[in-house]
Amino acid sequence: MQNSSRPKVLLVDDEKLLRTGTKRLLESEGYFVDTAGNGSEGIKLGSSSEYDIALIDLKMPDVDGIHVLNEILKIHPQTICIIATGYASYETAIEATKAGAFSYIPKPFTPEEILLKLKEAYYKRQLLLETEKLRREREERLLEVAFEKTRLNTIINSITDGLLVVNKDGQAVLYNPSALKYLQLDKIKIEEYIIDKLHAEIAGLINKILSAQKFEHKSYSTQIDLNRNGQIFVEATSSPVPHPDGSLAGVVVVIKDITELKKLEILKSRFVSMVSHELKAPIAAVYGYLRLLSDETVNLGGEQKKNYILRSQLRLDSLLKMVNDLLDISRIEMKKVSREIREIQILSVIKSAAELFQNELKGKNISLSINSNDGIPAIYADYDEITRVLTNLLSNAIKYNKAGGTVAIHAGSTESYLTVEISDTGIGMKPAEKERLFREFFRAKNEKTKNINGTGLGLSIIKRIVDFYSGKIEVESEWGKGTCFKISFPLRSGMHKTENEEQIILSDDNSFRINNNK
Amino acid sequence: MQSDESKKILLVDDDIDLLEQNKVLIESKGYKVITAENSKDAWELFKQHKPDAAVIDLIMEEHDSGFILSHKIKKDGHGKNIPVFILTSATYLTGFKFDASTEEEKEWIKCDGMLNKPVVIDDLVQRLESYFSVNKS
Repeated sequence: MQNSSRPKVLLVDDEKLLRTGTKRLLESEGYFVDTAGNGSEGIKLGSSSEYDIALIDLKMPDVDGIHVLNEILKIHPQTICIIATGYASYETAIEATKAGAFSYIPKPFTPEEILLKLKEAYYKRQLLLETEKLRREREERLLEVAFEKTRLNTIINSITDGLLVVNKDGQAVLYNPSALKYLQLDKIKIEEYIIDKLHAEIAGLINKILSAQKFEHKSYSTQIDLNRNGQIFVEATSSPVPHPDGSLAGVVVVIKDITELKKLEILKSRFVSMVSHELKAPIAAVYGYLRLLSDETVNLGGEQKKNYILRSQLRLDSLLKMVNDLLDISRIEMKKVSREIREIQILSVIKSAAELFQNELKGKNISLSINSNDGIPAIYADYDEITRVLTNLLSNAIKYNKAGGTVAIHAGSTESYLTVEISDTGIGMKPAEKERLFREFFRAKNEKTKNINGTGLGLSIIKRIVDFYSGKIEVESEWGKGTCFKISFPLRSGMHKTENEEQIILSDDNSFRINNNK
Repeated sequence: MQSDESKKILLVDDDIDLLEQNKVLIESKGYKVITAENSKDAWELFKQHKPDAAVIDLIMEEHDSGFILSHKIKKDGHGKNIPVFILTSATYLTGFKFDASTEEEKEWIKCDGMLNKPVVIDDLVQRLESYFSVNKS
């Protein structure tokens, strides 16, 4: 920066001829020169802006040159000052240098002398500036490092995962508060030998790396039941930390709470074994009949054989239904159902669902009534899913009904919900059965249900669908009297009254697909 | 002493198909079989017919219905002298594998043996016969 512009010189001297002469000389040599005719003016100029060099006369009528120098250096310590004096002596030279002058020049001086002095002074000035620049850079860097360190500490301490770093000797080097929690320690002292205080499995993970023959970028993980009671599960992972030269510096251990994940995993595997059990039963039944039918040591009548084949078919039918229901559940669970969200008038869904059950209704001589409040708003949902909910509920209301009973469907709405109630005059439920109603594979087993077929999955599918739309499903039931299911779907705020119908009717083009594949 | 043909077995299972199949198979081995689809009916039949043995499915109305029925039979004056076998295919629901191979376990479970489903009828019949022959009076 200083190299690219002209060196700036302040000339302070009470002799006018010397001032103008020197100024002209310096300007011709490429310097930029300001002049001051007395000490006070020199102080004013020299402190208000920074000069590379100040050439100051020692003896001036108002203020002493040394004083001028002092004042300038107070503000701009990097200005190079040269004292000029007509009374050059050893003493004044020493005095000037003590006061912080770079050099002095006796008056009168030749052009060569002054130019040489200024050249030296300017060289000195550049060195000074360079040094200052380096010093400032170093300071800034140190500040940055300090800031970076606190920031990193703050970040590490904020992590919910536990973090512990040990050095090659197994001493703690760094940890965060979460680490204390998961390691179940009150405190960790930095540089204390920590390994024997850790959970054996975590110590093992660290030792695997510490005892390795050569450095390898390899992590080790393990899942730990922290209190051996299935309450808290953590996953600990140890990884080697290298020195810049690639040798082993230590080990970093990250401990993560995986309790929720683990619980889900347990739930999942329990579901899988339940499914297997439920699938096994019909297979065993059919397999048993096939074996019986082919067993020559057993005598079976013709009617009996026919019945066995019929029973096998029934069991296989329900097996197939169960597999289909399971596929539906897994599709809903995996959130891979491709839903076509559109406006749905619930009454038309109810009516078309009722159409499907004409034979069943006639067969059991059950009367079905459908009624609704005026002006029921539309809901926005996938047509097939809503149909599924209603047909499942209607099918239950018929299956578990008495011959000659009734099924009543009522649709209505409140400020924020659309409700559908399906009540039957069927066998009802015992309180204990009601509690388990929405569990997979639960089917009420009592003397009245033994001839009713089902997969035990229908309601759990309904629940999943209703949950997806943030709806509710409630059930009231009295053993021997009947059951009433009530489902509620939230309405879209601000657009749920039929008065607004003109504004909200969506054409088919406006229906949109949501592929809910999060 | 009665002959084996007239030995009466109470068979209890809530799966009507397995019940039918096991009934036919056990009958084909020369036993008389009475069946029930739940513990309540089974208990009535037991009191009424005083069978010579009972073969009970573990999971019926409840996960432990078979145990409860077996306990009830074993506490009965007649029941304590007859063999009771429990059928199971569901070890996952209770979390441990049932067994009744030692005297201690038999006492604790209150039955004379556990049989895994699907039942191999020859095994069942063999156990019944060995029980009957040892306890011949």
